[in-house]
Amino acid sequence: MNRMDILDFFLRTREAQRALQQARSRLYRVAYAWCHSPALADDLVQETLTKALQKSSQLRDPKARDAWLFTILANCYRDHFRRSRDMEDVDELELSLETTPETESSRAQIVTKVRAAIARLPEGQRQVVTLVDLEGFSYIEVAQILDVPIGTVMSRLCRARNAMKAILLPEFQQNPEAAARGIRRIK
Amino acid sequence: MSQGKRFSDEFLNAFVDNQLAPEEKSRAFVEISQDECLNRQVCELRKMHDLVQHAYREPPAPPASGISARDRLRINLRFGAVASVLLVLGIVVGREIRLPAPDLQPLSARSVPTDDTDVVGTYQAVPPAATRVNAAESKQPRVLIHVAHDNTAELSQALDDIEGLLTYYRNKHQSARVEVVLNGKGLRLVRADTSKFAGRIAQLQKEYKNLTFAACQNTIDRLKREQGVIVRLLPGVTVIDSGMAEIMRRQNQGWTYLQV
Repeated sequence: MNRMDILDFFLRTREAQRALQQARSRLYRVAYAWCHSPALADDLVQETLTKALQKSSQLRDPKARDAWLFTILANCYRDHFRRSRDMEDVDELELSLETTPETESSRAQIVTKVRAAIARLPEGQRQVVTLVDLEGFSYIEVAQILDVPIGTVMSRLCRARNAMKAILLPEFQQNPEAAARGIRRIK
Repeated sequence: MSQGKRFSDEFLNAFVDNQLAPEEKSRAFVEISQDECLNRQVCELRKMHDLVQHAYREPPAPPASGISARDRLRINLRFGAVASVLLVLGIVVGREIRLPAPDLQPLSARSVPTDDTDVVGTYQAVPPAATRVNAAESKQPRVLIHVAHDNTAELSQALDDIEGLLTYYRNKHQSARVEVVLNGKGLRLVRADTSKFAGRIAQLQKEYKNLTFAACQNTIDRLKREQGVIVRLLPGVTVIDSGMAEIMRRQNQGWTYLQV
């Protein structure tokens, strides 16, 4: 190995590290959507990146890096709940909805309500819907990431969106009426 | 509604997520645009898709400040640990490699005979591999036998003991090293003019390559200075600068010391 090879090796390593850092925020967003706990999401991302650095030689195709990273994240997430059975109850996670002040902006209200609806979904459905909607993965990629058949991905996504519709659509059907009343009053 | 049944929920989701083949998508476009119910379903699914994106556009920041700093710290610690291990390994290997140096010093002393010492036989300027120490050999049994008198009966017994020792190690398939250091009156054992065991010594040296006889240069010098004796050594006997110094060096190197 000559000096250029060594230099090239370090440059590639630095490049790979920079790419991993860029992926951090995306991993964190999905991890947070899965667990709704900033601390746990942060830990999961740390673990994912550490494993990714250790296993970086396993990544043959750089184009598949995103799916590979999210596969590691899904494994870390699964391992975490395998380790700690006494996980938080999902019902407790969406308490922020009840504590929302009335003065909070409507945007924040929507965000809180959607997060609460996603938090109520079963774990498998929550993972599928966030991978598809947040990261834009294809169904095949999601099937690989979560190690489930593609039919399962499609049925989980379908059930997740139906459940969300059932929770959220009534909320948003009431709001336009309220907004319309408000506008009428101003006029 | 009859049109709405034409597509399953999974199909509509795949349409919204752009997972259909081009021809399927074209067909779905036509059908959906002509059916209000389908259109509403697709709209609702798109709305769900948009809401999820909207809800997690700005997730709350992780609790600990400076995640990237933490991450960098972990990476740095990892590299630091590897570097430390390499450093320690380097030091250990360096020490192991350096170990033979003091051992080689007396060998150079042996290779330089003084002008006024007439020695029969050849000097071993670079002694056989048996005299070199390396890390692998450090575990082998190494015995230094010190002979400082010329009692014939005891010397005979000593040679028997040396042979017994060498035979013992040979039978145990251990590559031992035995060095006999001769100074003072003990030098008579390897002097060509005084030794009563020249034949025995030659036979031992021939049979056991791991046996060395080392004569003290100080004693040789003193004999010449005080008695005018030009020492002639037996073949194969090496010369060391000082018998006492050699004993101390060998002991420092972990050799077993036996005095006859």
